[in-house]
Formats: sequence, C-alpha cells, structure tokens
Amino acid sequence: MLSRIADSLFWLARYIGRAEDTARILDVTFHTLLEQAPQPHGVRWEPILSMAGEETLFRQLYTEPTAHNVFEFLAFNANNPSSIMQCITKARENARTIRDRISREMWEDLNSLYLTLGRFDPQEETAAGPHRFCGRVIFGSHRFHGVSDATLPHDEGWDFLRVGWALERAEMTARLVDVQYRNLLALTSVDNTPDSHQWMAVLKSVGAYEAYHRQYHSPIEPARVAEMLILNPQHPRSIRFCVTEMQSGLRAISNTAPGSYANEAERLTGKVLERLRYSRIDEILDDGLHPYLTGLIHQFNTIGEVIARTYFYYAGVA
Amino acid sequence: MCLSDRGLFSGYTAGPFYDEMFASQGCARSHYARLFEKLGVMAPTQFEDRRKHADLSFLLQGITFTVYSDGRGTERLFPFDLIPRILPQSEWARIESGLSQRVVALNLFLQDVYGKQLIIKDRKIPASLVYSCRHFRREMIGLEVPHGIYTHVCGIDLVRDSSTGEFLVLEDNVRTPSGISYVLENRLVMTRTFPEAFQEHEVLPVNHYPAELSRILRTLSPRTDPDAQIVLLTPGIHNSAYFEHSFLAQQMGIELVEGRDLIVDGVVVYMKTIYGLKRVDVIYRRVDDDFLDPLCFRSDSMLGVPGLMGAYRAGNVALANTPGNGVADDKAIYAHVPTMIRYYLDQDPILRTVETYLCDRSEHLSHVLSNLHNLVVKSVGESGGYGMLMGPSAARAEIEAFREKILSEPRNYIAQPIVPLSVVPSYDASAQCMAGRHVDLRPYCLYDGQKVTIVPGGLTRVALQAGSLVVNSSQGGGSKDTWILRGEC
Repeated sequence: MLSRIADSLFWLARYIGRAEDTARILDVTFHTLLEQAPQPHGVRWEPILSMAGEETLFRQLYTEPTAHNVFEFLAFNANNPSSIMQCITKARENARTIRDRISREMWEDLNSLYLTLGRFDPQEETAAGPHRFCGRVIFGSHRFHGVSDATLPHDEGWDFLRVGWALERAEMTARLVDVQYRNLLALTSVDNTPDSHQWMAVLKSVGAYEAYHRQYHSPIEPARVAEMLILNPQHPRSIRFCVTEMQSGLRAISNTAPGSYANEAERLTGKVLERLRYSRIDEILDDGLHPYLTGLIHQFNTIGEVIARTYFYYAGVA
Repeated sequence: MCLSDRGLFSGYTAGPFYDEMFASQGCARSHYARLFEKLGVMAPTQFEDRRKHADLSFLLQGITFTVYSDGRGTERLFPFDLIPRILPQSEWARIESGLSQRVVALNLFLQDVYGKQLIIKDRKIPASLVYSCRHFRREMIGLEVPHGIYTHVCGIDLVRDSSTGEFLVLEDNVRTPSGISYVLENRLVMTRTFPEAFQEHEVLPVNHYPAELSRILRTLSPRTDPDAQIVLLTPGIHNSAYFEHSFLAQQMGIELVEGRDLIVDGVVVYMKTIYGLKRVDVIYRRVDDDFLDPLCFRSDSMLGVPGLMGAYRAGNVALANTPGNGVADDKAIYAHVPTMIRYYLDQDPILRTVETYLCDRSEHLSHVLSNLHNLVVKSVGESGGYGMLMGPSAARAEIEAFREKILSEPRNYIAQPIVPLSVVPSYDASAQCMAGRHVDLRPYCLYDGQKVTIVPGGLTRVALQAGSLVVNSSQGGGSKDTWILRGEC
C-alpha cells in the first residue's frame, strides 16, 4: 500500500470521527441545557468549546458564546478547521484522492453525505436547533463505518481506518471526561447536589447512557461515569476499548505477535494500554484525574506523530 | 418506421444536417426504429424523470470534471444526454478497419521518425515539418521502446459529413487521450435508466476495455515476474480527468500514483509504500511529456519523477503511451497520414481526412487569409478545443487577431473547411423538447503490436448549444451512450 494512501485513509477516518464526536456533544449539550435553569452563556457553552480545543478561534470570530453562535461555529463555520462541515469536506477530499482504493460504495456513501449536508442551510438550522443536522451527521458516520466494514477488504487499508477511528475517539473521550469532570464537580460544590442531568448528558454524548445503567444499576455517580468512559473494556467509546482497537490495528499492519512490538507506535500504544488495564478509578482520582487525562491526550498526540513517521513519510526522500 | 406527432418527438424537425436518427421528417432510420417506437410514446414528464435520475446518479458517483476558466476550479457534471447514438454494425465494421489501419500506420511513423527516418529520406514528408513539431522529442531518437509500440492507446476523432453522410477523421489523439471512463459510465447509467430499451436491441458490450488495457500494459513489463507492478501516473486530484484516472486504476486493479509517490534510485523506479520501496515495472502515464521528468523535460515540473526518463532509457521501466507521440497527432502532420498509410502499408486509406491547409505553405496561406470567415483555424499542438477560430461565428476582431497570429507564426496553424457535422436528437432542457444537436465520435483504440482492439462505439460527444459545432467538454459539450447494434445494416 502506498504511504500516501495509508495517510489518506488514516485521516479520512479521523475526520469522520471528529465530525461525529462534535455532532454528538453539540446535540446532547444543547438539549440538556433546554431543561436547565438559565445561566450565563459562558457557563453553559465554554466547556464544549474547550473540548473542541477551539476557544481562542471562537473568541476571534464571535463576541459571545450563545447557543446560536456555538452551533454555527462548530457545525458550519468555514474558518473553523474542526467544524463539522470542514471535517466532512476534508474527509471527502481524502476519499476522492484515493477513490480507486476504497470501495465504490464507500465513496458514494461519503459523497452523498457531503452533498446532503451541503444542502442544509446554516441560517435555517441554527434557528431550528442542532438535532436535525447533528442526527444526520451521526447517522452518516455510523453508516459510513458500516459500509466500509461491509465492502472494503479487511487488509492494511482497513487497519489504517480502524486505527484512525480509534485514535480520534480515544482522544475525544479523554477531552470530554477531562472538561466535564472539572466543570461539573465545580458546579456540584456550589449547591452540594451532584447534577445528574449533566452527567447523563455526558454519558449520552458518547452513547453510553443505557450501558451505564446495565453495568452499575445505580444512580449516576461522577466516579463511575469516569470509570465507564476510561476503563471499561467493552464500551466502544471508552478509552481502554479504543486503545485496544488501536493496538490490534497497528499489530495487524506490521504483522506483529502479541506481547511484542515492531515500532515505536506499537510500543507506546502497548504502554498506554497496560496502564489502562491495571489501573483502578479510585487510584486515578486520588492521583488527580486532570493530570492523568492530559497525560493521555499528550500520549495520543505522540502516537499519531509516530504513526506518521513510521508509515507515511520518507525521511530524507522528498 | 414513420410515426408523426408522437409524444417526446412531437414538433421535432430534421434540419438541413444529416440526422443520425431520422431519414426524413418523422421517419426513423431502420436501426433507430425500435428505440423510436419505445421513446416516441413516452410522455415528456416521464422522460424528464428518467433524466433527473440519470443526473443524480452521476452526481452521487461524483463523476465530475473540474473547470478552471471561472477561476474557482468548480466541479461540474459532464452533461449526459439520454438519447443514444446508434450505429449499425455494418457501418461500424468499416470504421473499425479504417481506424485499425490508421493506428498501425501512426505507430510505424513514430518508429520511423525516431528511428531510421525513411519516410523523410524518401521525401514523402518534409524533414522541416517533422522537426518543427512542438511535441517532437529529440530525446527519443534511437531509443528502443518495448515491442516497438508507441501508440498503446489512441482516441481518434471522427465526424460525419452531412453533405456526403461519410465518416471523416477529424484529428488523432495519440498522447494521453481521455474520455473512455465516460463511455463505460454512460453505458452503466443508461442500462439503469432505460433497461427496457436494451432488452429489444443487441448492443455490443464495451466493458472489456480495462481488462484489455491491463493485458497490454502487462506485456510491456521489463521483468518477467508474474507480479509485475503496473501503475497509473496521474497529475493528481486537480487534473480535469482525475475521475478517469482513478476509475481506470480501480477497474484494472492497479495502483494510482502521483509523481511524489515515485522515486528513482539507481535507474530503477520505486514507489513509496508503508513497507518500504517497491519496484515499478510499467507506468500508464496520464501526465504530459513536458511534466514527466524535470531532469529531462521541463525542469519546473512538480508533477513528474526526477530520473524517470533515465530509467526508461535503461529499459528498467516501460511507459505507455511513449513520450514523443505528439509528433504524430500534430495537426499539420495530420494532413500527411494518408501518405503514411500508402507508404508504410501500401494500402489506400479507408477513412478519409478533412481537407487541410498548412499555413506555412505560401499557396495555402494566401487562400486561408482570404477565407478566414469560412474556415476553422486550429493551433497545431493544442487539443481540447483550445486555440481555435471558428470563422463563420467569430467576431471581426477575433478574425483579425487570428490573422496576426497566423502571419507571425504560420507553422503553428492549419485551416480546414467547416465540416457540417451530423446531428442526433438531444433533449433541450430549457425548451423542454427534442432538438437536433451536432455530434462527433471518439473511438478508443488499443494496440498491442499485433492487433488493434477497439471497444464498439466510443464516446459520442454532443454540442448541447443550438447550432454549436464545438463538442469539447471544456467548451460546454456533453456526451451520449453509443450503441453498435449487432447484425444491423
């Protein structure tokens, strides 16, 4: 497989994943806030902007973080490189450069998602609220995943897609827990009751709400939510699950046996995974959740860079 | 089959041109009879539904080309017209043998001009004409190319002259002709949109093209390794034919590469894969000569591969089509192709060419200059409908501008009488009715050194503007599915 194609597949998956994650968070936050007592815009919308990592850019483009502005910014704004439309556009561009290597069904599915989303009118949608648009994005991402699984040969190309998806998800879940945990615990201390609606929103934004109840049969507790999203071995959006998926994809690419590693990307991934496997949530909380998660996000960035150096770039060869 | 005032074709009048569908007002030619029967009863709204369905299908598949003239590089659909262009097999057989003859002669010519140059020594074609071709490549002289094949893929443009009903060759494209993907996609969309029409006709299939091209490319490999690595070299996503490049690569199951994916080391070409460098044996290149290798041709090219020509010269990689082919489709050389056919094959040309005036001949030049308003003037090295003057429809200022250009560089221009192209009924979406529109025909010829294979039909391009004779997609043309009917006379 050409390095350029592997690179495009990896980023194709990441862009789609990022669009879906943004859509999920936007949709759930928006609808949860509808049932909340009115608060200043900043309190309501700052966390979502810091999750997307684009607060600075937002402040350059808008005066106030109103629901309208935040939605417009995260969903449509062409100047925001992580806006949903920008991610989908870049995913399609990537797919177009490798359309001979992905299945016809994948290309047509993604192209039609791009065309469909392009027909949404930003003005109208910001007025109507994010559900319709975000729902289409989330569904589109799931469908693309399914179409890929069902039509692309499960070779190295598939493995690069898997790694891209898993890495993007792992990083987003880490950001989500980090921001929400800090934010929600701060809120709790004011009136001393855990805000279970907010925690429900967190679970719902990663599609883990029902799973939480099946697992714990208990009211929502911040520590358990964190445990579910960081350490759960089965939930497809928990960090541990995603890192396991990354490891399996990377090993399939290099054909490495379990228990060993063929390159730096595999070594780092294995190291992160071992920590996740043998940690308990109370230890993590005692040592500080924030440094733990920032450490993870840092590791994920490094792994992304190392994958690129290992497979995509030819050092010294222009 | 004569029917009058039937739905879709009511109000259609055969104009002064040769109508491919109707022999006279309301009377379909025999090979169009069954289709006319089917379509004739169709309500315009029903037809409109099918048309939208077809357009949507192209849009969803992203079968678009990029137009740069508006400065934004917009993706546009290549307009597809649903009324097929039908030819009976008997007529096709003659075209096929004429094209085969021409391709073989062009290949022999290229072998010759880059080899012994007998045709020049025997004074059949002037040396000055050959050497002054913009696409003549000195670098190719004396180079032995694999199996002596230059013209692996040719797209030869034909037109039917309304005054005689005869097919004429309009131009040869032997560098990197494009459009075959539209032939295959048009057929696919057509079978989905009008399945019932196919049930009543035996339309010769076209979809063996990629397999045949792939077979020919494979025979060129310098290594006998059964895993010979064949790649398609594209200028990249911004090229207007990018869809075709990725389509063909996918259909042939070969790697689609850009210049930056390849590297030459020790006169061997490699591609950069996730498992390291992998040797490349055959390159079906869709990058022009000029951009192929910055060390050999244009040094500012970012699209090519430095050292590629060195590896080619060393016989370590094969290229298709061969660099330097442009000398054979130069529009001034075109006038001499009948001479080539007689000289190399000792045969009479089966397909005639259009009378051509070479502006660097004084007797031709004076005729051209005094008849500019009646002629089409073409720049010899251009393709795609660029650099052309259509005398009758041109403004006076444009004609005068061309006069200056011709006088300053006579070798760069040829002129031809305007061929009154035949028409096929086509749907005029703005007027919501059928109207005769001018068409040409580009069949695609594959040559393996032994025989020429031509997929039945080819690309029928149609000038969708009323009265227009320019069919190029870059100039607002569309296309039609082209049917060769088995056994029809």
